[in-house]
Amino acid sequence: MRRVSAGRLGEKLAPYVLLAPFLFTLIVFFGYAFVRVVYFSFTNYDLFSKPEWVGLRNYLNIFRDPEFTRAMKNSLTFMVVVTAAQTMIALLLALFLNRKMRGIKFFRAAYYMPSVASSVVVTLIFIWFFQRRGVLNYVITRFQEYQVILALFVLLAAALQFVLVAWEKLRRRPVAIFEPSFLLLSLLVSFMIVFGLVRFGFILPREVAPVDIIWFNTTKTWPDFFGALAFPIPLGAIMLFNIWTTAPTFMLLYLAGLQDIPGELYEAAAVDGAEGWHMFWKITVPQLKPITFLVVTMGLIGTLQMFDQVAILGSQAPRSSTITLAYYIYTNLFPSSASPRVGMASAAAMFLALLTLVIVYAQRKVLGGENDA
Amino acid sequence: MPDLQRRRWANAAAVYCFLLLLSILFMGPFLFAFLSSLKDNPTEWPPSLTVNQLRPANWAASYRLAKQGGGSGLWGGLAPGGSIDFEITYWTEEGREPAPPEVVIPKRVQGGAAAALSVEHWAADYVEVVGPYEISREPDQGGVLTTYSFTLVNKGDVPLKEVPMDLTVPMRQEFVSATLSPNRIERLGRTQSWNNVSSGLLPYVFSNYARVFRENYSVSTGKRLFLLWIRNSFFLAVTRVVTTLVFASMAGYALARLRFRGRNAVFGLLLFSMMIPQQVTFISNYLVLRDGVFGLSRLVGVPTLLNTYSGLIISGLVGASSVFIMKQFFERLPASLEESARIDGASTYTIFFRIFLPLAKPPLGALTILTFQGVWNEFFWPLVVITSPADKYPLTIGLLNLQRTYGAATFDWGPILAGTFISALPIIVLFIAFQQYFVEGISFSGNKE
Repeated sequence: MRRVSAGRLGEKLAPYVLLAPFLFTLIVFFGYAFVRVVYFSFTNYDLFSKPEWVGLRNYLNIFRDPEFTRAMKNSLTFMVVVTAAQTMIALLLALFLNRKMRGIKFFRAAYYMPSVASSVVVTLIFIWFFQRRGVLNYVITRFQEYQVILALFVLLAAALQFVLVAWEKLRRRPVAIFEPSFLLLSLLVSFMIVFGLVRFGFILPREVAPVDIIWFNTTKTWPDFFGALAFPIPLGAIMLFNIWTTAPTFMLLYLAGLQDIPGELYEAAAVDGAEGWHMFWKITVPQLKPITFLVVTMGLIGTLQMFDQVAILGSQAPRSSTITLAYYIYTNLFPSSASPRVGMASAAAMFLALLTLVIVYAQRKVLGGENDA
Repeated sequence: MPDLQRRRWANAAAVYCFLLLLSILFMGPFLFAFLSSLKDNPTEWPPSLTVNQLRPANWAASYRLAKQGGGSGLWGGLAPGGSIDFEITYWTEEGREPAPPEVVIPKRVQGGAAAALSVEHWAADYVEVVGPYEISREPDQGGVLTTYSFTLVNKGDVPLKEVPMDLTVPMRQEFVSATLSPNRIERLGRTQSWNNVSSGLLPYVFSNYARVFRENYSVSTGKRLFLLWIRNSFFLAVTRVVTTLVFASMAGYALARLRFRGRNAVFGLLLFSMMIPQQVTFISNYLVLRDGVFGLSRLVGVPTLLNTYSGLIISGLVGASSVFIMKQFFERLPASLEESARIDGASTYTIFFRIFLPLAKPPLGALTILTFQGVWNEFFWPLVVITSPADKYPLTIGLLNLQRTYGAATFDWGPILAGTFISALPIIVLFIAFQQYFVEGISFSGNKE
């Protein structure tokens, strides 16, 4: 009799036993931590003496701190630009890679490569890449030298492509505007013509002084006509390589989504006479809506937390040009030459948490649709 | 329609070409950075694709020179009594008398003052130069090519690891070629300089990589830091993978298949925690570790968990997203699985370990890869918890340290790039071997709805 009840008790406790380790981390390192940060945000505390209640003063103070507003602006700019760009690039890449070909897996892996390395690795490589006499400035220099020639090349290729496609259409054969084989042919022929022109001296590359863009150690902003909305150039550089590393991850999500779209939808549309673009907007985009929702949510949460790149750049870029909310919180907790301002850090942290929740909620309202649970 | 058939083939070929072109965009920066990590000067202008360290002639020469010097061809060295024959060719214009180069073995070591401290025997004190002798002279494009030969002999009774060499010639006598390409050409082309002519093949090609290991010593213990960092990262990653696999499957199973009070609350908190940035909760977590998890660690005699791996491991026992992935997986399994076992009187634990866990291989595989990658690449939390000594850093924080070491005055990019590639290597190998799991991991974590 006792054995049975002991067994029953064991059964009753089983879920909690199985959950115990997770509950421990969830409660101590999340629940308790969150509540405590809420509390800290209303206090004055330097990690050593007792916290002292100050009401809302920290919240008022962070908004008076120009560094905080700077950080908020940087974080929001970063969030908008990176999330938008990486989502679109991820979708385009996925569409391009969504074909049944031998060896396509190799290309998927190759494109995904930037995403497997750590933020430290990627950031260090890119700091080198963006040196004043670095690879990027060299590429830009060469680009400026060959600007006219490149323009000629592109125009020529476009003209050839147009002629080829028009010719096929006249012969009433099915052909797409960007028919790959035609495109390759146009590009090759155009390249050969332009190469010949340059080789025999009919047109020459311009003489250009080496481009000297300083990517990190600068307080300049770009683009000029944007006024107060322009972003600092170092932040722009971080955006560039951040997009480069995160887009492939989301590309994988889109690829999985594309493979789940039933082929009959396209077949039915084709029977109704729908064309490529029409199918894309009427079938692909709506079918991918849950994925887009997920990609955008993950993108928003991820970009709002951006910290590593700023910390790794450290003193190589001016603070005001790269500081983000996450970095602001960190530096208030561990300032290099002052006592820790836990209250300020916590208030900023609460602001970041709220901002994340509000933005994710808002985008759920806009994009969520039928997925609104 | 054979015509259209042909076009289909042409289209496929064209698509391959475009795929290849586009992969340059994604792989290019990595590949070029890797090439540059082998170079003597990764910031040369203009950046070039030719790398001395990748020329087979130099491979053969570095191997031969070290072998001839009595060391190992692969690892280098100049044994006592060993000698190295070296040849170098210069070009002088017609009418100028070519002069033999002045051969100097300088007291120099790669890596500056810190590395100089660890040198026991300077090649400059033991190596004697025999020569140089002129061995050939032939006309060439309005000038003459003159080749000189000389021999470096180790007269001491100790093996030498590093034999640097400088050759200097008068103005307007141009360097053309040498047995081994020089690492630097200085003083307007007059001085050709080698870091180590008896380096052996591997240290020659991977000289920046060797420097990363050789030049970073711990101040307190004298151990090689970079090896320690790699070991630390491995230890942390493996431990966290184990705790994550065990605890995430337990929690995921409980949340997915068991009914108990507070289940919805736990799941709600889990979802909420996935949305809150780490930088919010780390303030309290830092304090929790500082105070040894409410003083509990004092029971085992540890006053604080800061700067300990226990701290990192305890705070990262199991992540919310891992539990989420396991819960999603267990939820999709049919109910019949446990029903019959229940009738047979099996306990919850038996059902979990005997029936459910063996089925969970795919998500556990994905979770292994995801967790390993996550811990290996983790930056923010270790930066907060592990501040000193440098012996305890994981690799990511170590790299930051490396950047400070070599970036103090002017950037010495060779070792920094080399360090980043060493640290990325395990993940790249893992990725190539378990590609499928990476992809699955992404889509597992993606099924949120």
